[in-house]
Amino acid sequence: MTAGYIQAKNVNLTFTPPNRAPVTALQEFDVAVAEREFVSIVGPSGCGKSTFLNVLLGLVKPDSGEMSIHGKRVAGPGRDRAMVFQEFGLLPWRTVEDNIGLGPELQGIPKKQRRERGRHFIDMVGLSGFEHHFPHELSGGMKQRVGIARALVSDPDVLLMDEPFAALDAQTRDIMQAELLRIWQEAKKTVLFVTHQIEEAVYLSDRVIIMTKRPGRTKSILKIPLARPRGYEMRVTPEFNELKLRIWNELKDEIDSQGGPVRD
Amino acid sequence: MDKFFEDWRRPILGSLAIICFFLAWEAILTWGIPLNKFIISKPSLIFAGLFQDMNSGLLWRDLLISGRPLVFGYVAAVLVGIPLGVVMGWRVRVGYSLDPLLTAFYASPLVAVAPLVIIYFGVGVAGKATLIFILCVFPFIFNSFAGVRSVDLLLINAVRSFGGREWDLYRIVIVPTILPFVVAGARFAIGRGLIAVLVGEFFAASEGVGYRIAFYSDMYVLDRMFGYILVIMVIAVAFTEGIRWAERTAFPWRVGM
Ligand SMILES: Nc1ncnc2c1ncn2[C@@H]1O[C@H](COP(=O)(O)OP(=O)(O)OP(=O)(O)O)[C@@H](O)[C@H]1O
Ligand SMILES: [Mg+2]
Repeated sequence: MTAGYIQAKNVNLTFTPPNRAPVTALQEFDVAVAEREFVSIVGPSGCGKSTFLNVLLGLVKPDSGEMSIHGKRVAGPGRDRAMVFQEFGLLPWRTVEDNIGLGPELQGIPKKQRRERGRHFIDMVGLSGFEHHFPHELSGGMKQRVGIARALVSDPDVLLMDEPFAALDAQTRDIMQAELLRIWQEAKKTVLFVTHQIEEAVYLSDRVIIMTKRPGRTKSILKIPLARPRGYEMRVTPEFNELKLRIWNELKDEIDSQGGPVRD
Repeated sequence: MDKFFEDWRRPILGSLAIICFFLAWEAILTWGIPLNKFIISKPSLIFAGLFQDMNSGLLWRDLLISGRPLVFGYVAAVLVGIPLGVVMGWRVRVGYSLDPLLTAFYASPLVAVAPLVIIYFGVGVAGKATLIFILCVFPFIFNSFAGVRSVDLLLINAVRSFGGREWDLYRIVIVPTILPFVVAGARFAIGRGLIAVLVGEFFAASEGVGYRIAFYSDMYVLDRMFGYILVIMVIAVAFTEGIRWAERTAFPWRVGM
């Protein structure tokens, strides 16, 4: 494996909660992602996907391992990365507009400019008219879209997305997938995308990383050689379904031996 | 009409109960039990006495005298209690060390040490303010403590991930989280503060609301004594409701308050 734009090598992380058995979330985990590549990670629930994104984000220190982005060692959070959190992480006391403005605010951008930049992304995720609502006044899918807009507005080089479309209905999900692909191509971003939906992983990615059950390691990596731009019709082609089946089979082994459910 | 009642249901029903209470009190002592002025009074006499104390200016002067130490003691409780509670919540070791000790103090009948406090700090503003501080500081400590403990780590992580520093964490996450807790503590502390004023003045004073109540009681002028008690009740309710109102307008994100 050549040195990637995002490079993680031999990452180990064991949680040791007080008064509880230690849990090894990541074991000798390796990832290499090229610049402007779109890579998805799939794996059984609890295998360490979120943990890995948190490590890469610089929020959690691994016990050992090397991580770098664009040749720079990851030592803490940085402006080159932004995360869409699985559990949203919106500030309950801030309106949609002010939640989305968090990144720019911390970058010292004046309020008026923050609003203008935010407006564009509020429109994009379909939340116009809800600028002044508080998170508790939004549905789960709407909260998730606030989280997506919040990550996009700070214009990071690397987008870390933890099941960002999980709470969306099928139609909104389709729209958001297309938007994400558009932004990824136009703004030249590198995306690391965690999902439980195999179809979504195939549709969006250049490569799909399949993780083992906990402790999470890389089980296999699958190249998705489908041409871009990808349209909706591509999802019913035999090649597409062939790729889906291959991922499904790999995952099934992991989940069978764990006794959990399988979704496609 | 229905809509009107719907909107004002709480104040209407609340006031109605209060009015009924006074009417029943008046009625019982007018037609029921014969009034013995040495052990009880009735609303008509109480209000008449209260107006006399208002007109003579005595009530206002007493309120001013008692108000000063209340403000000093209360403000000191805020300034000491909140930071102490926050540090206890944020620094685990400080919390573990101080929690049992402070809980024991909080649970003990602190008014019992009032005479000592007056001996140490004198009968003036200093003694009273100290007593008030001692009683008021605990709700601030424990509520900020609980507030910090309830901070959502996911929010801390989110703000850190977008480049937030220590100061940003306080500004954006910690302060908004503990604010409702602190306000609830403030509401509770008001009641304790008023008790502290009265107790402080019962023991040693020549002016003030507490002194006046003790004085009227000793003199068997019960209608005047009840008048003063009524004033304190009104003040307590006004503060409590005021803080409640501020809570509702200041924290619109809190559902169902
Ligand atoms: N802060 C923590 N303390 C202790 N254990 C943790 C902590 N965070 C995660 N874990 C454990 O680490 C393992 C991996 O968790 P993680 O959230 O990374 O899983 P995941 O792959 O994202 O799962 P899902 O697909 O369900 O979101 C789990 O077994 C979890 O219990
Ligand atoms: Mg997860």
